[in-house]
Amino acid sequence: MALVEFRQVRKEFIDRNKQPFTAVAGSDFVIQDKEFVVFVGPSGCGKTTSLRMIAGLERQTSGDIIIGDRIVNDLHPKDRDIAMVFQDYALYPHMTIRENLSFGLRNLKKPKEYIEQKVREASAILGLEKMLERKPRELSGGQRQRVALGRAIVRDPQVFLFDEPLSNLDAKLRIQMRVELSELHKRLGATIVYVTHDQVEAMTLGERIVVMNQGVIQQIASPTELYANPKNMFVAGFIGSPPMNFINARVEQGRIVVDGGSFGLPENIAERLSAYSGKEVVLGIRPEDIYGEDFAPGVSTEHRLQAHIQVVEHLGSENLIYFHVGGRMVTAKVHPETKGYTGLAKEFILDLRKCHFFDPATQERITGK
Amino acid sequence: MQRTIAPKRRRAAGRFWREYGWAYLFILAPVLLFLVFTLYPVISALIMSFQQYNIMQSTWVGLDNYERLFKDDTFWKSVWNTVVFTVCTVPVNIILTFVLAHFIYQMKTKWQTFFKATMYLPAVASGVTISIVWLAIFDPTDVGLLNRFLGLFGLDPVIWLGQSKTALFSLILMNWLGSHGAGIILYLASMGGIPKSLYEAADIDHASGWTRFRAITWPLLKPTTLYLLVTGVITSFQVFISVYMMTQGGPNFATTTIAYLIYQTAFKFYEFGLASAQSFVLAFLIILVSVIQFKYFSSDVEY
Repeated sequence: MALVEFRQVRKEFIDRNKQPFTAVAGSDFVIQDKEFVVFVGPSGCGKTTSLRMIAGLERQTSGDIIIGDRIVNDLHPKDRDIAMVFQDYALYPHMTIRENLSFGLRNLKKPKEYIEQKVREASAILGLEKMLERKPRELSGGQRQRVALGRAIVRDPQVFLFDEPLSNLDAKLRIQMRVELSELHKRLGATIVYVTHDQVEAMTLGERIVVMNQGVIQQIASPTELYANPKNMFVAGFIGSPPMNFINARVEQGRIVVDGGSFGLPENIAERLSAYSGKEVVLGIRPEDIYGEDFAPGVSTEHRLQAHIQVVEHLGSENLIYFHVGGRMVTAKVHPETKGYTGLAKEFILDLRKCHFFDPATQERITGK
Repeated sequence: MQRTIAPKRRRAAGRFWREYGWAYLFILAPVLLFLVFTLYPVISALIMSFQQYNIMQSTWVGLDNYERLFKDDTFWKSVWNTVVFTVCTVPVNIILTFVLAHFIYQMKTKWQTFFKATMYLPAVASGVTISIVWLAIFDPTDVGLLNRFLGLFGLDPVIWLGQSKTALFSLILMNWLGSHGAGIILYLASMGGIPKSLYEAADIDHASGWTRFRAITWPLLKPTTLYLLVTGVITSFQVFISVYMMTQGGPNFATTTIAYLIYQTAFKFYEFGLASAQSFVLAFLIILVSVIQFKYFSSDVEY
């Protein structure tokens, strides 16, 4: 296995109007040996392009890509010692599963016994033994997904690349495959680069997550770090479901004023916000850090906010309550015993110890908890 | 009881016609055309093939026409010519079509459009016109286009269509260089339908250019190839216009194909019964070959 490194990697495409379009703007990162790194971001953020550049399916406009100890800029995909699982699985439809699994090794002219053994091993790991003579169309989505994984495994590559491999599966199967992928990573001890637009997938699978937006890496951190200390409003809003709430606020004499209430700030936060005295800021608070005033066990009830409830969603284990503050929709993820119905004027309690403040101009975080 | 059922039935029938009447009316036109111009002639021909046909009076002769047919050397010669023509033209045409489509597929969209249109153009010209052009190309004198070309290399003029050993080959050559437009368009559509990710997966799987072609492109184009093979064989088995226009089946039956023989038997010798029998033998041959092709070349590939 090996590390993967991007040094100032940039990728430009020419769009339909013959104008250059930057897909990846000077990325720098190192993926350590045996690490499971997930690239996440909205459509068009450059995550798949980054993966395809590692694979050699796209040539970067500038910068260096290193796999192991080699600069692979001009190496053909087959010479990079990588394996890739595609979003649509890319199984050869006219070949049996056995032929699909062994295709790469046959091209490498490996001995028959070796190929047989590798196919046997991979199919045992993935539970494909009984379907080796079938064609891909005879398999379910999950089984096809496993074959695509198997095709990658048999080659023993230095790096595994996954391009949104679970996006075509239904929700239940996706959860099951997520667990299987995690187990597979532990079992193979492989370097894995995984691309997804699903932040839940990223949080559950990745040891580190690379959050991208508009071709720029926003933050590289572990899932817990990303959740607790997002670098900017994009990361804060992208990671977490439901996403972080953003409330327009104003700093006035050590207090934070929002539509519907004003709160005194803890000293450490007030100190960091001192440069913003008299200015607008954005208060970021996660839905689970907002409580109904009637059910806020163990939380200081001093920071209160009055609002009219717009909608209540009952999810069983929790309720989602939606209301407006300063023209922005705010979601509170509250205990199911919290009372609330549409139109009710209710007091909510904000756990300001866990909130974040962002500069509305730069969208960068200005203080944390 | 009857009083209540009868109006109910009438109401149901009325509703049926209101809902589906137009649909049946629209279907009626093509069905009538099919019955009058296809099914009726086929059945008449089948009956005719068992008759000594005469406009005034026909006599039932049983299998006599078929017996005559199978004892007729000219018929067997025409079968042989048709088979040679088919075997020599269809595979070559498919390969040529595939190669042309392959090159066009690599081009940019505007060039693809240009070549698609150019290659398809001969398909809209009539077979008669094309045959006249080819008559000029095969002109046996030294002013003929092909002979003039041979003359550049110091070769003597060839009587392309006038001697047994070159006449059938000339028709085959003409077919090779004929229209590949429809096939090219079909192949291009199929090539565009092969997911790009399969080639990318193959690239990562260490496939060489040849392996990509042999293991991905060719098998995934099999349904198109089968279609071209079947339709190509059917068209070749029915080759008529070029024979009629250029050689009249000669010299010495060297280019007499089954379709031309049927025409000759029917409209030169007025043996409609025998011509019908020949037609049914041709139809049987085409069905037989098509079934064999489907059996051995069919592919249920999905992508």
